[in-house]
Amino acid sequence: MAHQAHAYHMVDPSPWPLTGAVAALLMTSGLAIWMHFHNMTLMSLGLILLLLTMYQWWRDIIREGTFQGHHTPPVQKGLRYGMILFITSEVFFFLGFFWAFYHSSLAPTPELGGCWPPIGITTLNPFEVPLLNTAVLLASGVTVTWAHHSIMEGQRKQAIQSLTLTILLGFYFTALQAMEYYEAPFTIADGVYGSTFFVATGFHGLHVIIGSTFLAVCLLRQAQYHFTSDHHFGFEAAAWYWHFVDVVWLFLYISIYWWGS
Amino acid sequence: MAARLLLRSGLRAVTTCQAVRAPALSRSMAAGGIPTDEEQATGLEKVIMKAMKEGKDPFNMMKPKSYAGSRNDPHLVPSITNKRVVGCICEEDNTSIVWFWLHEGEPQRCPSCGAHYKLVPHNLSH
Repeated sequence: MAHQAHAYHMVDPSPWPLTGAVAALLMTSGLAIWMHFHNMTLMSLGLILLLLTMYQWWRDIIREGTFQGHHTPPVQKGLRYGMILFITSEVFFFLGFFWAFYHSSLAPTPELGGCWPPIGITTLNPFEVPLLNTAVLLASGVTVTWAHHSIMEGQRKQAIQSLTLTILLGFYFTALQAMEYYEAPFTIADGVYGSTFFVATGFHGLHVIIGSTFLAVCLLRQAQYHFTSDHHFGFEAAAWYWHFVDVVWLFLYISIYWWGS
Repeated sequence: MAARLLLRSGLRAVTTCQAVRAPALSRSMAAGGIPTDEEQATGLEKVIMKAMKEGKDPFNMMKPKSYAGSRNDPHLVPSITNKRVVGCICEEDNTSIVWFWLHEGEPQRCPSCGAHYKLVPHNLSH
């Protein structure tokens, strides 16, 4: 039993922040080594260390919260603040890329032909695969909400089914986007159009993969009875993140795919 | 979830309802397959959950109870030792807090507004 007079969680000493920092160091310096000396060893080592850190750190959080009961109401409140602040920081991250896009597209330079899309760029039809992608992500927003309500109402089978469906829709989006990338008539090297298009949609795609992974972890945890009908913040955090990914896509679709075409 | 729990316990603390809650059989391992906190909470979370159900707040998660602060109705300050720091916001919206140590025994008064405070020592149940 706890021998503390407060409801907060004083975490036991842990090596994962250090290994995470070392991983960051190895990945960044490894990136430089790769670029200059064509050797991927250091960067790969950093990547492996990063994956090990993430796995073990989050495993420990699950142990502390679900198995040891350290996630009391004030602790959960703090975790909520943390996730919201993190998502807010990600919003600002994407705001930068939208700024770059609008900077270049609202006042196209003579080098581009004074128009947007620039001369020589054949844009993707926004009403083909991009519209399907929009429908897929919106549907996944519905299924993840369905999963949440299933959990709150104590319906295990429905929760697992709707969460699985959400993840499958996420994979479908990723597959469709990958195909679009492969078939696109322009590349990242095609002027500022290519740069803004692929950096913005590329980072979004990375976030879809991250979000799908988060949801998949939740699916595994749900299958192993970690969540209760009242306490399932890990799932809520994943759902918030997924909705954020969906909203970013909507802005991307409206700005780059539709207005920018 | 946490906000709902905090609100619920706040309501309980205010009304000190002693009614026994009927078990929510519509949501449990037996019914839908997802456990409830009743069935699965553990550790400190469980201790707090149990205490909140009885209207208690051993870890001071809630706002302190309201007292008149007079000699007959002093502010009761729980403590796990024989003294505790008290911060008195004499009047609502005051921007400076008056801090002082409250000791076991005779009630003390705030040096600024004269409100009465009495220490209520108790032991931690663990």
